[in-house]
Amino acid sequence: MILEAKDLNYFYQDGEQRRYILKDTSISFEKGKFYTILGQSGSGKTTLLSLLSALDSPHSGTVLFNNEDIKKIGYEKYRRNNVGIIFQSYNLIPTFTAVENVLIPMTITENDVPEDAKTVAYNLLDYIGIVKSKADRPVNKLSGGEQQRVAIARALATNVELILADEPTGNLDEEMEQEIIDIFKRLAHEHDKCVVVVTHSNEIALQSDQAFLLRKGVLTAYE
Amino acid sequence: MNFIKRGFLGITRKKGKSLILLAVIFILGNLISGAISIQQATTNVEANIKERLGATATVELDYEEMDKLSEADWENTVIEDLSVDLMKQIGELSYVKYYDFNIMHWLGSESIDSYQGDMEGEVVHHGPSMDFMLKGINYAPVLDIEEQKAKLVDGRVFTQEEVDNGTSVAIISNKLAEKNNLNVGDTFTLVNEVYTWDEETGEDNLVTSRDVVLEIIGIFESQTIKQDDSEGSSEMGGMMDFMDIEFQNTVYVPNPIIVDEMKYQYEEYLKADEEYAEMVAAEGEEASFEYYTPLYVLNNPEDSEAFAEEVAPLLPNLYKVHSATDQYDSIAGPVESMSNLSRYVLYAAIGATVLIIGLVVLLFLRDRKRELGIYLSLGEKRGRVIGQILIEVMVIALIAISLSLFTGNLIAGQVSETMINADDQSYQDDYMYYGGAIQTHLTTQDVLDSYEVSLNSSFVLAFFGIGLLTILISTVIPLIYILRLNPKKILM
Repeated sequence: MILEAKDLNYFYQDGEQRRYILKDTSISFEKGKFYTILGQSGSGKTTLLSLLSALDSPHSGTVLFNNEDIKKIGYEKYRRNNVGIIFQSYNLIPTFTAVENVLIPMTITENDVPEDAKTVAYNLLDYIGIVKSKADRPVNKLSGGEQQRVAIARALATNVELILADEPTGNLDEEMEQEIIDIFKRLAHEHDKCVVVVTHSNEIALQSDQAFLLRKGVLTAYE
Repeated sequence: MNFIKRGFLGITRKKGKSLILLAVIFILGNLISGAISIQQATTNVEANIKERLGATATVELDYEEMDKLSEADWENTVIEDLSVDLMKQIGELSYVKYYDFNIMHWLGSESIDSYQGDMEGEVVHHGPSMDFMLKGINYAPVLDIEEQKAKLVDGRVFTQEEVDNGTSVAIISNKLAEKNNLNVGDTFTLVNEVYTWDEETGEDNLVTSRDVVLEIIGIFESQTIKQDDSEGSSEMGGMMDFMDIEFQNTVYVPNPIIVDEMKYQYEEYLKADEEYAEMVAAEGEEASFEYYTPLYVLNNPEDSEAFAEEVAPLLPNLYKVHSATDQYDSIAGPVESMSNLSRYVLYAAIGATVLIIGLVVLLFLRDRKRELGIYLSLGEKRGRVIGQILIEVMVIALIAISLSLFTGNLIAGQVSETMINADDQSYQDDYMYYGGAIQTHLTTQDVLDSYEVSLNSSFVLAFFGIGLLTILISTVIPLIYILRLNPKKILM
């Protein structure tokens, strides 16, 4: 197991009442597989992803990365060295070019980064489908699909084994959506990454190696 | 693309916002720079003037306190004399470099002429002539010479033996010596005349007199008074002439000589005025002639306050310490008021800068809150995120502050000149402390003349220190407010 969540609880305090978003949720993921977590809006899937990516911390329960508690690793360090995160709204730095956005995590991570980081960044972008002429443009001059590709390249820049994506195709048209899903499949199957995508789309869920359904904070396998 | 490079890119990629921040800091920087300039200039004036006023102090009657006493209070109040022992006790304090206690007496002469300077022929005598001021001294090297008020140009100062024994020796001015063709080793004669006053005619009647023969052992030259005739108002010029003439006619002698002459005058007067003699005999008190005025030269003008505080408990009722530096408050009105104003402006400017820069940075950061969240989501350390924003703000601040350093100083110079000129109108009455042991002749104009707004290293350091610290605080506070959030709260 590369990633495992055990008995996660997350709630909002509403007066004296606790409103649970996740209740005793457990789940595990392996390398080389493409996972989806399906759920309606407000089902808690984004919260689950934020706990798995250490953007937030659970009220109880643990998240293990390669059998080590991410709290022990340190949330900041875990994000820096072990996980690539992709957001629905891309979350790129608008004043920087595509290649500069990809270079940022390379200067933050403690993982080994090739000396010629810029060439690696261009190659990554090219692999994802962003040619050099577009790689040198500020990201706010690129289309939504192109920006999401840049975000994927950024998630891969630190050579992590785990990619977590929150509704990565939510803002894209169907054609672009399929292209992005194909990239995720390639990453899992050809590059032995563990890719976990949170989505509300059945079509995407059906293309994954394994899908889970999250409903009212309870996680079940989705067939 | 480390955080330092990101910081510099942040400045160049967002030119508009960088320019707005530059303009805001530049304007506020001018306020801080101007206020610090004026503060420094006034501080320098105070040090300069106090240095020129000298580090002297005396003990004298506190007339302000006496005025406050009611008639009933007076009935229960006895004003004691200052004892020589007390003067010596004060003179042993650590603040005191050296000290003297003096007694003055005025005598005339039939054999020598007094120096009259530019007023030669203008002075008309009424009554007995007393042109020569005998200044009794106890400190043999003579304080006025030690303090460079006078310079010994010929001969020598007293020996302690001459002072203690009251030997008939004197030090006179070069002007007086020249006028009467006197040299070291010569003797000259003053006359101690005793007069009574006729109530009916209103005239003085000479009763008796005796010669006071003094040997000249030294000749001094005045060093301080009448430095520049063109300075000051005509009233001040007149006063300066008078002080100069009096100083040139000063004859330094040992204290016992004066005590002896005063005693002679008193005793002869009693013989001439029987009625007064009976009254004195009825009171039964023995006359004292040792009314000395002490003068203490302190190690440092800045010791004045501490010296006064330490001496105050030793003094008899209704006495106080008067320092030469006390005059500063009387003549430094325009500069003091500007110093106060600039202090308020400085506090207000710092407060406004923290508030305005804080708000501006907060607005900038609101736009960039998401960007900060992205860095945090990528695992960037919070310290480095703060560092990146600080680099952006501080580089702009450094440029703006460097520019306002010169412009603020320039503006401060213009503003203070206008204010001084306006304020000076209400301080036209020049103040001169004359009399007693301390004589100073600095005026408000002297204070204004020594006021100068300039760029010096301490100002530059103070300005950069205060300016950058203010901006640092106003940047870090909103940054911490944002960065205490977890990335999910910022991004999702």
